[in-house]
Amino acid sequence: MLARVANNLFWMGRYIERSEHVARYLNVNYFSSLDAPNLKSQDRQFVLRSMLFMVGDPEKEPNKFLKEEDVLYKIGLDPNYSSSIINNIKFARENANSARDLISTELYEAINKFYHFVINYPKEVFVKNGLHEFTTHVAEMTDILRGKIRGTLLHDATYAIISMGINIERATQITRMINAKYNDALLSQDGENERFRKSFEWTTLLKCAESYDMMRRFYKKTPTSISTLEFLILNPNCPRSVMNSLNQVNQHVKMLNPEKRYNKDSTVFLIGRVRSEYEFKYIEEIDEDIKSFIEDILKSLVDISDKVDEEFFNY
Amino acid sequence: MTNIENQIFSSYQRNPDLYDEIYDKNGKIKKVYQKLFNLYGEHSIIDYVSLNNKAKSSFFNQGITFQVYGDNNVQEKIFPFDLFPRIIDPVDWDIIERGSIQRSKALNLFLWDIYHDKNILKDKVVPIELITSSANYLDQMNGVNPPGGIYNHISGTDVIKHNDGKYYVLEDNIRCPSGVSYVICNRTALKKALFGVFNHYQTHTVTNYAENLLELLESVKPKGVDIPNVVVITPGMYNSAFYEHSYLAKTMGVELVEGRDLFVENDFVYMKTIKGPEKVDVIYRRIDDQFIDPLEFNPDSVLGVPGLFAAYKKGNVTLANAPGTGVADDKAVYTYMPEIIKYYLNEEPILNNVHTYHCSRPDELKYVLEHIQELVIKPVDEAGGYGISIGNKLTKAEIEKVKAEIKASPRKYVAQPILSLSVHPTYIDDSESFEQRHVDLRTFTVLGKDKEFVLKGGLTRVALKKGNLIVNSSQGGGSKDTWVLKK
Amino acid sequence: MPREFEITYNAENVYDDWVYDAHWQFLIIPVENESQYEVEIEFENSLFAYTEESINGFGFKTLRIHPKKKFKKISFEAKFKFKKEEVDPYNFYLEPDISIAYKELQDFNFKITHERFLKSTSFTILESSQEQLFKFNSSLSIFDNLEALNHWIHKYIKFTTGVTEVGTLLKDVISKKKGVCQDFAHLFCALSRTNGVPTRYVSGYLDQESGFVGDSQMHAWAESFIPGIGWKGFDPTNNILANTNHIKVSHGKDYNDCAPLKGVIHTVGQNKTSHSVTVQSQQ
Repeated sequence: MLARVANNLFWMGRYIERSEHVARYLNVNYFSSLDAPNLKSQDRQFVLRSMLFMVGDPEKEPNKFLKEEDVLYKIGLDPNYSSSIINNIKFARENANSARDLISTELYEAINKFYHFVINYPKEVFVKNGLHEFTTHVAEMTDILRGKIRGTLLHDATYAIISMGINIERATQITRMINAKYNDALLSQDGENERFRKSFEWTTLLKCAESYDMMRRFYKKTPTSISTLEFLILNPNCPRSVMNSLNQVNQHVKMLNPEKRYNKDSTVFLIGRVRSEYEFKYIEEIDEDIKSFIEDILKSLVDISDKVDEEFFNY
Repeated sequence: MTNIENQIFSSYQRNPDLYDEIYDKNGKIKKVYQKLFNLYGEHSIIDYVSLNNKAKSSFFNQGITFQVYGDNNVQEKIFPFDLFPRIIDPVDWDIIERGSIQRSKALNLFLWDIYHDKNILKDKVVPIELITSSANYLDQMNGVNPPGGIYNHISGTDVIKHNDGKYYVLEDNIRCPSGVSYVICNRTALKKALFGVFNHYQTHTVTNYAENLLELLESVKPKGVDIPNVVVITPGMYNSAFYEHSYLAKTMGVELVEGRDLFVENDFVYMKTIKGPEKVDVIYRRIDDQFIDPLEFNPDSVLGVPGLFAAYKKGNVTLANAPGTGVADDKAVYTYMPEIIKYYLNEEPILNNVHTYHCSRPDELKYVLEHIQELVIKPVDEAGGYGISIGNKLTKAEIEKVKAEIKASPRKYVAQPILSLSVHPTYIDDSESFEQRHVDLRTFTVLGKDKEFVLKGGLTRVALKKGNLIVNSSQGGGSKDTWVLKK
Repeated sequence: MPREFEITYNAENVYDDWVYDAHWQFLIIPVENESQYEVEIEFENSLFAYTEESINGFGFKTLRIHPKKKFKKISFEAKFKFKKEEVDPYNFYLEPDISIAYKELQDFNFKITHERFLKSTSFTILESSQEQLFKFNSSLSIFDNLEALNHWIHKYIKFTTGVTEVGTLLKDVISKKKGVCQDFAHLFCALSRTNGVPTRYVSGYLDQESGFVGDSQMHAWAESFIPGIGWKGFDPTNNILANTNHIKVSHGKDYNDCAPLKGVIHTVGQNKTSHSVTVQSQQ
């Protein structure tokens, strides 16, 4: 496979995955805040700030009043904001376009339909009453795309590269959500540790990651900071966990490079190392310093992505 | 005989001066179209409208589109597709197929000759100006023997039917002829929309194009290569024919590369893959000569590969079509096609050329001046339709002006009879009915080492504007599925 | 005894910004022919990038470089050693019946064979009034006419640097009456071709020790094909026939076919280029 095209496929996977997480974050936060159990979590300004924080663009002025329509438009449909959902999908399609000869007609057609849906979605509807429909549709379309990726592509290098993109991005987005919700939980605790531990924000976080039901089934208790983090970071059986994503990346990179020789400069080596680190982590270690942990894992993910780039997309 | 209940054609108006592909002179449906006519007649126009819309959205969703650049946005448009197919009977097809091969082969021999001994010039069959004044003649190709002896691996021959019922060639496209992907997409779309009509006809498949193309490209591999690595090179995803480039790569199962994916080392060409460099042997290039190698041709080109031409000249890689083929699809060369065919093949041309009067020849000049109203006057050295005068559309004053210009510099002009392209019933969106529209046909011929292939089908292009003779997609043209019937 | 030559070619390119991708092709190697032979090539660059030898579309040897890492500055040094026979440009047989050669020029097959060096190019095209600038005198031989043309151009154009550049058209050179060796050579090609003589542009080096005019880089002259004699070199810049001091690198229709350095460089910002050539010879 051409190195350039592999790069396109990798980023196609990442942009597809990213658009889903951003869409669901908007949806879940907006709608669960409506009947949140405390005033802080119900506060519209609080929710909008959380959204901006999650996409990496936090509002720095503590007293600035944010207009709901502006924030939703910016993150959802603003063509001039590079991290907006619309741009994620545009980039996903552009990357698919230049790899068009390698992906299946079915996958391409699904991406294309997705693109046309987003590009033609009316702005006024979106900011007034379309948020639910739009974000739900985006999430569903990404499910369809993942289905097409799994079901209509040979499970060879093409599939491995896309899957690596998807899973690195998933781990990244889950971590970003944890970061945002951790921040929200801190802000809404009013200095009470117990309130932080049992914050409503952990439930929201699990819903953002579509993991609430799974988590309830597994722990059979109201989520707390420690159980939520354990589930979303370390539980290998939770399909949205960082651990699960790393396992997937590990499995797919081996398809590209089945070599078993010791080579500390390879992507396989780096991924294996990061994976092992989290595989044998105590949640208590994480709980001691959540903030540093989040920074570390984001850095590890960036390192993995850079390594993939260096080993496979450059020549 | 005509089925009066056929409501789909009830309002079809026939202009008796035009050659209608489905009606004979007496207003009867031609035999080959009879079944199709009846089958379509079973539908109401409303059914038809809905089928047509479905087909359109299928094209749109598949991304078989071209881009139109507006003031501040880019719009995607589909190449309009008409659900009513054009049928070519085996007798007519035989002429078209043999004629296309004949022309492609003659052009190939012509190219070999003008890049080697130049006998056709020495024998004064064609004038030397054909090469000395052509911007497409590449001096660098002199004495080069392309692998397998093939220059124009892929040719697109534009054929029309005149109102005398005969086929004429309008143009030979041997640079980077495009459109073949639409032939296949049209067939797929029609099969989806109206599968019921297919089992009433024995139609040749068109989906075998890619495998034949690949086989013939492999047959012209460089010397010493066992199993050649073939790639398609594209200018990139913003090129209007990008869909076709990706389609061809995908259906041949080869890589679609851009210039930046290739590099040359020690006069061999490699592509950059996730596993390191991989040697490339045959390049089906969809980039014009001037852009293939910035070190040899246009230095500003970012589409090409530095050093590619040296690798080609050394015989380490095959380029299809060969560099320098463009000289033979010049308008001036076209006018000599009958002579070129006779010179190299010792055969009479199977497909007619539109007769060309060279104003440089005194007797022909006399004829042109006397019959100017029946002729199209074209300057020999202009491309892209500039400076063309159509005799029957000129005012008296304009005629005098054109005559004066011709007399002043007769060498600059040629003249051809005004041709009338045949018409075919075509569904027109605005009127929601079938109307006569002019059509042409582009055939696709592939030459390999000792073997050739003509796609049994072709791109029937339709001029959707009423009365318009220009079928190009940029001028609002559409296309039809084209059925070549088995014997 | 052949003379032994040593030519040193230096070039340096400096860029404001990083260059990530660059290709260069040098057309600077003395060509091997009857009088020049045993050419030895040494080529180095400051980035230690691998040098490839290749052959360009017109059959001349080139050197190509494609550095694999980013840089802001690169310098090249080429050294060529070779032997060259003494050339006496007047040593040829001149057919007393001059009409035979003129007749050959008119021959159709002759025109086809030499088509490439008879047509005009963007660098050698003249306005129709300028085609009359130099008319052959049919009572003289083709050779004598060409020598007269050589002399005429030498007088007509004053050698001046800085007035014209690589892209200057011939019509502007003619109206300014100033130019450098490329302009002299182009004008010679143009007027000789107008008179029906196949003529090619030649790029090479000039041993300036004997006081000839050229610039410190590469020299340019012309070669015409005279029926019965063959290709003859004319150097209108110096009003002489090409001789032992003219070291040929390549020929073509015009400068474009012979550009000594072609580069494909992707960078933003300005760059500075400098070249120098030294030619040394000993018996």
